[in-house]
Amino acid sequence: MQRESPGRKRNEGPEFPAEPPGDPCRDFTYEGDMGKSAEWGFASELEDLSGAVAIAGVGESEHTRASGRTPREITASAVERALEDCGLAPDQVDGLMFNITSPDFDAAAFREHFDVKQDIWESAAGGGMVWAGTAPAEAARALRCGDAKYILNVFSVAWATQRGEMTGGPGQFHAAERFKRNLELPFGWFPQPVYFATIARRHMHEFGTTEDQLGAIAVACRRHANLNPGAVMHAKKLTLDDYRRSARIADPFRKEDCCLISDGGGAYLMTTPERARDLRKAPIQVRGVGMGNSNAGLHWAEQADFTATPQVFAAPAAFAMAGLTPADVDIFTCYDPFTIVTLMQLEDMGFCKKGEGGAFVSGTNLHFDGGGLPANTHGGMLSHAYVLGIAHIVELVRQLRGEAAAQVKDATVGIYGGYTGPQASTLILQRSDA
Amino acid sequence: MSLDGANFPLPDTGWEPTRPYWEGASRGELCLPRCAACATWIWYPKETCPACGAAELRWETLCGRATLFSFVIARHAFLPQYRDLIPFVPALVVPEEAPAVRLTTRLIDCDPEELEIEMPVQVVFAPLEFTGVEGNVQAPLFRPAR
Repeated sequence: MQRESPGRKRNEGPEFPAEPPGDPCRDFTYEGDMGKSAEWGFASELEDLSGAVAIAGVGESEHTRASGRTPREITASAVERALEDCGLAPDQVDGLMFNITSPDFDAAAFREHFDVKQDIWESAAGGGMVWAGTAPAEAARALRCGDAKYILNVFSVAWATQRGEMTGGPGQFHAAERFKRNLELPFGWFPQPVYFATIARRHMHEFGTTEDQLGAIAVACRRHANLNPGAVMHAKKLTLDDYRRSARIADPFRKEDCCLISDGGGAYLMTTPERARDLRKAPIQVRGVGMGNSNAGLHWAEQADFTATPQVFAAPAAFAMAGLTPADVDIFTCYDPFTIVTLMQLEDMGFCKKGEGGAFVSGTNLHFDGGGLPANTHGGMLSHAYVLGIAHIVELVRQLRGEAAAQVKDATVGIYGGYTGPQASTLILQRSDA
Repeated sequence: MSLDGANFPLPDTGWEPTRPYWEGASRGELCLPRCAACATWIWYPKETCPACGAAELRWETLCGRATLFSFVIARHAFLPQYRDLIPFVPALVVPEEAPAVRLTTRLIDCDPEELEIEMPVQVVFAPLEFTGVEGNVQAPLFRPAR
């Protein structure tokens, strides 16, 4: 806990730091050589929180293309809806988690927006991306220590509005890193669509993954978006033939392999299972959390296992905490900036063997009604909105309550795979009556 | 570090961690750092050897032969400065002497449709030039080995 002042308690979140803007020479270390068999990453040690936290309320803003809204306005809208969802008054909220990279809606902003005066515990170790999955671990600690009773995790972006001012759009963060600036950008190996098309082509080479298999992921997400009135791509259909015919932007990627650029955000409210029972909606239990890390950091070219994600370290830890296995999961969501990232996380989280992701995603296996593993049932970042994972948690909670647009029958256990590249997280949720 | 400097996205050849790489390229040499104690190739450059922890790096000149690890055919200019390069082939290649290293580079003198992962490639030094950017910097690019 640093920087304490009256009415302002902030935990900067040393356990889950934001991607460091610091000197990679100092920040990144290796545990072994670059051989593929070497351990190229590790799992963070997290305390067992199974049964200690419930998600009691969820809300999301409108998700749009460029809208002129500010991140603060977007977050405020999501928070209002999350509080309405669980029936909690703004003056009862005493904990707020957001991401250190986008502290647009902190405790001061919350108090100002809702005209309330209470002390609010703050943590910058929340938000979207991997932290959408790990915020419950930090919240569990805060609930146990009495720092807060009702904790919101919030995240939003206005990147569709801000895109014109960003170098390489969402690539801006990467363009500012000096090794990338000096060793990658001069060769045009930039930004994310190029990194992940490189990974996809290597995955195709190693495992025989096909473009049609990547297309099946895009088609499943679009079908879910077509069923979800809140999805940016709600009105636009996509068949596998449409996918095949569409222009390539970074071979082997077509536009449909890449996520949207959006304005939007979400929020979810965490409390103890006991307190959650007194709120409006059926509580959803947090059963397991895991966090995995790659020693290569942001430098994908350095990651020994080029076609894997740190889910290989995160997911086993989360399943162990939950006492569950991939076979127990009814709903899968994952941070899906590109089709290949969904495919790799399915493999790395244990839903199929490494290299068999292509066959696993084929046909309708990922569709909400396909009889396989329903995946990103709101449309994901590919077709719902690029709000960096926070909407995935909102969707999981709605599915487990039976409130989703593309509702999976009898959904009991849901999972989120968060990913930034340097890190991956796994969050396992379960319906409380199950 | 400013992103809107006049020469963006040319490399900052004076930045110490990668200065010998760009100096080597200006002489027509592909140079990479190696641990002076255990001879591990260290890429990207680091202050200490990831294998043994030693702090001294020694830059060596490589033969320039490599294999193609993976590549992309970029058909969209993700930066306006890339516009006149489209389509181009950003790639990762594995140098013959350093099989655990992947160099970021660009493939030139090739038909992108005929490229295959694991094919042999050869370094070729050519100036990096970008739309609307003054000046150039000579860089190690690669082409299919003949």
